[in-house]
Amino acid sequence: MPLRATVPTPSKGWQACLTLGFQRQGSRTILGSCLHRGPLQVQRPFYPEGEAVCHVAILHPPGGVVGGDELRFNAALDANSHALITTPAAGKFYRSAGPMAYQTQRLTVAAGAVLEWLPQENIVYAGAKIHAITRVELQGDARFIGWEILCLGRPAAGEIFTTGEYRQNFELWRDGEPLYLEHSRYNGGDPVLAARWGLQNQPVSATLLCAGSPPDGVNIIRAGWEELMALLPATGAGELATVTQLDGVLIGRYLGPSAVRARRLFTLAWEVLRPAILNRPACPSRFWNT
Amino acid sequence: MPLTLPSLLRLLQLCSPTLPVGAYAYSQGLEYAVDRGWVRDETSAGEWILGLLNHSVRRLDVPVLARLYRGWQETDAEAVQRWNARLYASREAAELQQEDRHLGTALARLLVDLGLNEATSWRNAPQVCFATLFSLAAVRWEIPLPEAATGYAWAWTENQIIAATRLIPLGQTASQRLLVAAGSAIAAAVVDGLTLADEEIGAAAPGLALAGILHETQYSRLFRS
Repeated sequence: MPLRATVPTPSKGWQACLTLGFQRQGSRTILGSCLHRGPLQVQRPFYPEGEAVCHVAILHPPGGVVGGDELRFNAALDANSHALITTPAAGKFYRSAGPMAYQTQRLTVAAGAVLEWLPQENIVYAGAKIHAITRVELQGDARFIGWEILCLGRPAAGEIFTTGEYRQNFELWRDGEPLYLEHSRYNGGDPVLAARWGLQNQPVSATLLCAGSPPDGVNIIRAGWEELMALLPATGAGELATVTQLDGVLIGRYLGPSAVRARRLFTLAWEVLRPAILNRPACPSRFWNT
Repeated sequence: MPLTLPSLLRLLQLCSPTLPVGAYAYSQGLEYAVDRGWVRDETSAGEWILGLLNHSVRRLDVPVLARLYRGWQETDAEAVQRWNARLYASREAAELQQEDRHLGTALARLLVDLGLNEATSWRNAPQVCFATLFSLAAVRWEIPLPEAATGYAWAWTENQIIAATRLIPLGQTASQRLLVAAGSAIAAAVVDGLTLADEEIGAAAPGLALAGILHETQYSRLFRS
């Protein structure tokens, strides 16, 4: 399976690539290498909870992806390092005049290392054509908590994803074996967008993955989500959110009207999982206050 | 390889609801969908079952079954392991994985009893899919791939319709109408599913995944998924 989506014809969009390498130096995780080409950048790392955890935010200065763009992001975490990666703003994928855009994210985590992958949502405008891959490769006892939040169309602007192509692979592997593979394919007009077994006409679909089996994690998160959903203003829109435990991976899911609500629920789950899996209290990113 | 009559008989045996693997105990989220009112009559049952047939059976099960089939044909144990793992990791809820594991190990035990010793190591495998053992039987019993894939999709469909019949409930005639309607969907799923390239395989179904998960805590349950 090719990791990098193949581009059938030479495209004229942005060709951007960012490769980050994290290393453990004594008790500190450093961003030891940072290579970039084109408009994908990383802010200077920050350490809001001491030196063990390196927080970084990925920036995409053009502010959105158009047809023909090809964005590649690689992060490699060396043994025993710990990084938290987020984005300061939602990813935007604009209507394409024809060509596909590609976003390929490959995250490799060595034994003993921890990656927290907490990006904001991807907003896919009607008419956008995107092939997105997020592939997480763990080695040995590496730990991972992360999510992908998708918003098809722009519900706030009344825009429904009636045309366009969205393909996303969200994959979690350990030592070359797949733990969880989610291959989504949402094309404007396909039955999957409206079907009860599909997206149920909801714009936001999100998946949280946690490599590990925190004791009673599923029940604690379910109870927490029930409580939170009772507190949030009612949507009256058949919102669904729940958690399951597969072999070696906990999965949280959201299907509903709002990416903000998905983030609220996932952040709550992360606040439960972080102490259980990483032995650390949650430390919300300063970028999430927007 | 044309389908011979002895192979046809083996295929009928493999696809029979009386195959002792316990498929009748699983609804694959349909029980939750009925409880929630998403599926409540013949029309909505058809939308659920035929929709999934055209989506996940076509885009995931059939093409993976084809690769498992070729793996067994070429005695390529590594390919069989790889595609089995890939299919298993594509099941989106704990009960959907458990179902595949129970059906797969049950079929492995049965095949060993019927003389297919290659199934031996799969009897207690922690991760095994029904398609993995189904394809082994199809290859060794000389059932051609298109017929094997058709049989697999038929068995899946019939099991779903039996579950819908019990849960909604539907009358016998309505069930038979659904089976007829499923016919062309099965044929299309097989023909198209067998042509998919590796990178086109996979079909997430968020509503099904959520139904599968929410079934875990459903108050009153007849089915195990």
